[in-house]
Amino acid sequence: MRSLQRVMCVEDDPDIRMILEFSLATVGGYDVCMCAGGQLAIEQAAAFKPDLVLLDVMMPGLTGPQTLVALRSQPVMTGVPVVFLTAKAMPDEVEELLLYGATGVIVKPFDPVKLPEDIRIYWEHGGGRRTD
Amino acid sequence: MADDITASRLHLCDLLNGLGHQAQGVDSGSAAIEQARAQAPDVVLLDLLMPGMDGFEVTQRIRELITDRWLPVIVTSSLEGEEHFIHALSQGADDYLVRPISAGLLQAKLRHYAKVLGLQSRLAAMAQRQRAIHDNIHDAVITFDDLGLIEGGNPAAARLFACDERHLTGQLVEAAMGASLPDLLVQRELPLRRADGSVFPAELALSDWTEQGRVQHTLVIRDLTERRRVERMKDEFLATVSHELRTPLTSIRGALGLLASGSAGALPKAAMPLAEMAKRNAERLSHLIDDILDLTKLEGNQMVMQLRLMRLDALLREAITTNQGYALRVGVTLGADLPEGCPQVRVDGERFLQVMANLLSNAIKHSADGDAVVVSLDWTVSHVRVSVRDRGPGVDPRFRGRMFEKFSQADGSDQRAKGGTGLGLYISRMLIERMGGLLSVESVPGEGATFSVELPRDDAAATVWTPWVLHIDNDLDSRRRLVDWLSSLCRVEGAPDLQQAQGLVSQGSVPIIIADPRAQGAAEEFCLSLKRLASTRPVILYSDGVDQSFVDHMGMQWLRKSHASRDELLAAVRSAIIKASGQESP
Repeated sequence: MRSLQRVMCVEDDPDIRMILEFSLATVGGYDVCMCAGGQLAIEQAAAFKPDLVLLDVMMPGLTGPQTLVALRSQPVMTGVPVVFLTAKAMPDEVEELLLYGATGVIVKPFDPVKLPEDIRIYWEHGGGRRTD
Repeated sequence: MADDITASRLHLCDLLNGLGHQAQGVDSGSAAIEQARAQAPDVVLLDLLMPGMDGFEVTQRIRELITDRWLPVIVTSSLEGEEHFIHALSQGADDYLVRPISAGLLQAKLRHYAKVLGLQSRLAAMAQRQRAIHDNIHDAVITFDDLGLIEGGNPAAARLFACDERHLTGQLVEAAMGASLPDLLVQRELPLRRADGSVFPAELALSDWTEQGRVQHTLVIRDLTERRRVERMKDEFLATVSHELRTPLTSIRGALGLLASGSAGALPKAAMPLAEMAKRNAERLSHLIDDILDLTKLEGNQMVMQLRLMRLDALLREAITTNQGYALRVGVTLGADLPEGCPQVRVDGERFLQVMANLLSNAIKHSADGDAVVVSLDWTVSHVRVSVRDRGPGVDPRFRGRMFEKFSQADGSDQRAKGGTGLGLYISRMLIERMGGLLSVESVPGEGATFSVELPRDDAAATVWTPWVLHIDNDLDSRRRLVDWLSSLCRVEGAPDLQQAQGLVSQGSVPIIIADPRAQGAAEEFCLSLKRLASTRPVILYSDGVDQSFVDHMGMQWLRKSHASRDELLAAVRSAIIKASGQESP
């Protein structure tokens, strides 16, 4: 089983994007592809070949769930866990997000020091891509 | 006053004016009718025999023409006999006077009519007042009988249903409002239909009254469209606020976390506590937002519970793990007493963890460095109970009654310093109640507090043992005291002696026995009888008349009557109930 390396991160708020990039690249040491919106993520997924996608829920343009559906149609996304990042913390709303086929939900505000470890756990438990 | 003969007309007018009335004379029936309409007199006096239109006809006409009020008509005649008077009365006249008219009789009759007319005008004023209230009230009011036939509605009802007021009257409720009679009589909120077919949400308030033995229903209807719209706006607003507040908080919290962790380079020593403090407060703000959102959902009855059969020991372990960090930071140990085999209960896992996080953080918050907080789990045949016990200062008895209320925090500077939103316990109790459980607290000031969550067992059979206490004591005051102390916990029966106690037990299930051997014959024999009566259930001796060696010899629990407090007795009975219930659990 190879380790988690390539994380695609979709978030519209530039400040949060900066925190995410710092957390995932500097603290976590992952290769990170930051996208400011769902459309960009859909365009860059094939080239970046993410091991995991971290996806904001409420975004202008394509919403998180809409982006997830579009991403899932790409062959490169087969078996790639998607974790939602959401400001909504109500458990029933979390359930709803999981129904879209997400592996997990990380609630904002998140701890950027723990985030790299949290998504690694999701990657392992959520059927992270294995190489034979 | 109508009379064709001038002399008698003038005489009567003089008489009337002399009595203090204002009289107007006319010389024909037709003139009488005209004046009755134009001048609105209080009383009409008519000569029966007049050329042209006679008094009979005038009476009849007046009755036909003036319907909005009662106008007394008195007929006069000098004819012999009573037939013509009877005829006039049957035509609608109210009274008669025989000519020549006696001034005394006329005065007495007019005084009588003045009184009746006064009553009438007071009634009319009252009715008009009621009418005005009914007509001007902002809420729609519709009255119908027990068959659903509408007797009337006010203008607001006509406006609400977009129809004419008269259109409502005589219709069946189903046709007029688009809701069935039974629904209207039972429901508090219903969608109703206007005359144009549009439907609106309505709030209903029904009152019943009886009129001449027939039930009448008066329904006050309020259109909820606007209220619903405002509720929706509030929800959207809250969702937006939640998102808009959390987005900047995420950056603040994230940036501070990265600074404090040293990921962005080591901070100067003096800057570290500042970064930590700022981070902690960003977290606190985020909890406050969570609490306010929860509160809004709970109070708006919009919280969706995902109830599933779950094992609480697993959830409790998770809760302890999650809160371990906080406990370690403040030097508090988290202990757990989670026996195997706990029956499953139906809970919303996330929400249960939220309650536990609240109870645990409260307990940790109020513990001193080096103290322990213990989470334990036990169960009876019907319930599973989770307890969180701390050894902190306990709950101030004055605050105890309010501690589950909104925004309640025990006042006083030291408690203030502990922080918190004052919403946690209120939200926790509501969440547990939504899961069908109870959240309660027991505390001895200075010795800590125990918060208990009791949830119904999913497998609890309908025929579970209902705990009850049988108190055998020949002292009536003592029996009364125990009923007073324990009846909040379970049913308590008292008996002065063994014989009556046996009678009570043979009728029903086996109780937990509390007894005083004093004045019951030989103590040992009495206690052996108690054991037989109690079968496997615990027996508590509540007495000043025995000693430790006797109690040990009998293998019973002992509380000194003169020493044991209400709380001690409650605790003893509660643990006996749990023990007894455990015997019955599968």
